[in-house]
Amino acid sequence: MMIPLLKVELFKLFRESKTWYAIAAVLLIEGIILTAAYYQGATILELLLDNLRQSFYFEGNLLNGNLLLYIILNSLWFNLPLILMIVSSALITEEYKNGTLKTLMLQAVSKWQLITAKYITSFIFTALILALLMLTTCILAYSIFGSGDLVVYLGTLNFFPAEEAFKRICLAFASGLLSMLFFTTVSLTLGILLKEPAKTWIASAFFLILCSLLLKADFGVPAVERFFFPKLTNAWQHFFEYDLDLNSILMDNLLLAGYTVFFALIGIYLFTKKDIG
Amino acid sequence: MIKYLSLIAVLCCVLNVSAQEIDADLIAIKERMDAVNAFTADLELDLDAPFINMPTKHASMQYQKGKDIKFSSDDFVVLPKRGLDFALSELFEHPFITVNRGEESLHGILVKVLNVIPTGDESDMALATLYLDTHNQRIAASEITTKKQGTYKLDMRYAANQDILPNYVEVSFAIEKLKIPLNFMGSDTKIDRKTLRNMDTKTGKIKLQISNYKID
Repeated sequence: MMIPLLKVELFKLFRESKTWYAIAAVLLIEGIILTAAYYQGATILELLLDNLRQSFYFEGNLLNGNLLLYIILNSLWFNLPLILMIVSSALITEEYKNGTLKTLMLQAVSKWQLITAKYITSFIFTALILALLMLTTCILAYSIFGSGDLVVYLGTLNFFPAEEAFKRICLAFASGLLSMLFFTTVSLTLGILLKEPAKTWIASAFFLILCSLLLKADFGVPAVERFFFPKLTNAWQHFFEYDLDLNSILMDNLLLAGYTVFFALIGIYLFTKKDIG
Repeated sequence: MIKYLSLIAVLCCVLNVSAQEIDADLIAIKERMDAVNAFTADLELDLDAPFINMPTKHASMQYQKGKDIKFSSDDFVVLPKRGLDFALSELFEHPFITVNRGEESLHGILVKVLNVIPTGDESDMALATLYLDTHNQRIAASEITTKKQGTYKLDMRYAANQDILPNYVEVSFAIEKLKIPLNFMGSDTKIDRKTLRNMDTKTGKIKLQISNYKID
């Protein structure tokens, strides 16, 4: 039963014009970031290497596809989840708004199956957008700027050889996907709670802003710093620490996946308990 | 009579000093280096700086007498501006005098310590201290204070007694604190102001393993 439901949900999602607007927006943002990153990247490198320039010659090019991919990854903090949250929450809020949920419920479909299908559809959409983003960025960044060593500042200046950099970027995209899935799941749960599209978008944007503020806040309590979900949404960044602590990264990602499932279960519970209409 | 003798003695001293302005051992080393017309070699570079993490890098170098050393690499490499002037051409580019500071033990060998002081304003070098392995006629170490680029310490090791070109060079340099643009930092990267303040100037090292010399 779940497969036909999923097919229907995916069909509906890709029939929506706002889905294509979202995809276009993501690609446009990617283009803008790539252009800005090229000019910004040159200035950043100039500043980063200024101290070393006095004593050293540099051989090789750091303004390359890998640096641009890293800068694109940094855009995952805010731009991408906001767009994905709007599209994902619409999976349920549009049904409330148009009154189509009642019609759906007339079919031989259980409420938990329907809402689970919507969560899975949101997962698939998020994964597809991330894959599209990564693929197009890789093609554009490497074809225009070529490959090369990556320099990243995370407390120290970390240099990675091109192959190592690409491996870490792929892992960071995978970890970034978990972060995006967390935000889209929360937006769908908010959609179930608030029902109205505009209210859900505002609540989703507020949640995203709050997470980004809490991520930077220093609570001074180790347990909060380690396990509070806003602190985990940036786990992908740890792939650019020079010495990889894979156990810690795995723990962060598992915890974030756990929070995602938790928010999805809340949404499924609320949906099954609520009256339609 | 005493006045004349004194004048002759002073003149002799002055002439003697001007004749020994450049140390004979240094000239001998320079002449030995000048016999090398060109060479190529492979480099393995390890950067050891307090706030920079860089894996071991590889490059190749090409030297031709009278020309700047050329480097090439498939990687992004950081190469010291000073320390690879084995021909001492920078040193001999502008007039200077040497002052013998005696002998010291360095890495188990007795070395002659020379101060090199430029006599004109053209040189970027303010003062250099050279540690000469007079027995094997080569430079064992040096400390160069420049007018614009701080102080560099160079430590050279050789594979064999007769070698004139080193197989290992360690360049120590002072490095100022990093200036990090905020928009390049990760969202959860914290600025530890205390650490940054304490990082005003640190010493970094670049270690070069040089192999596969092909000397002309």
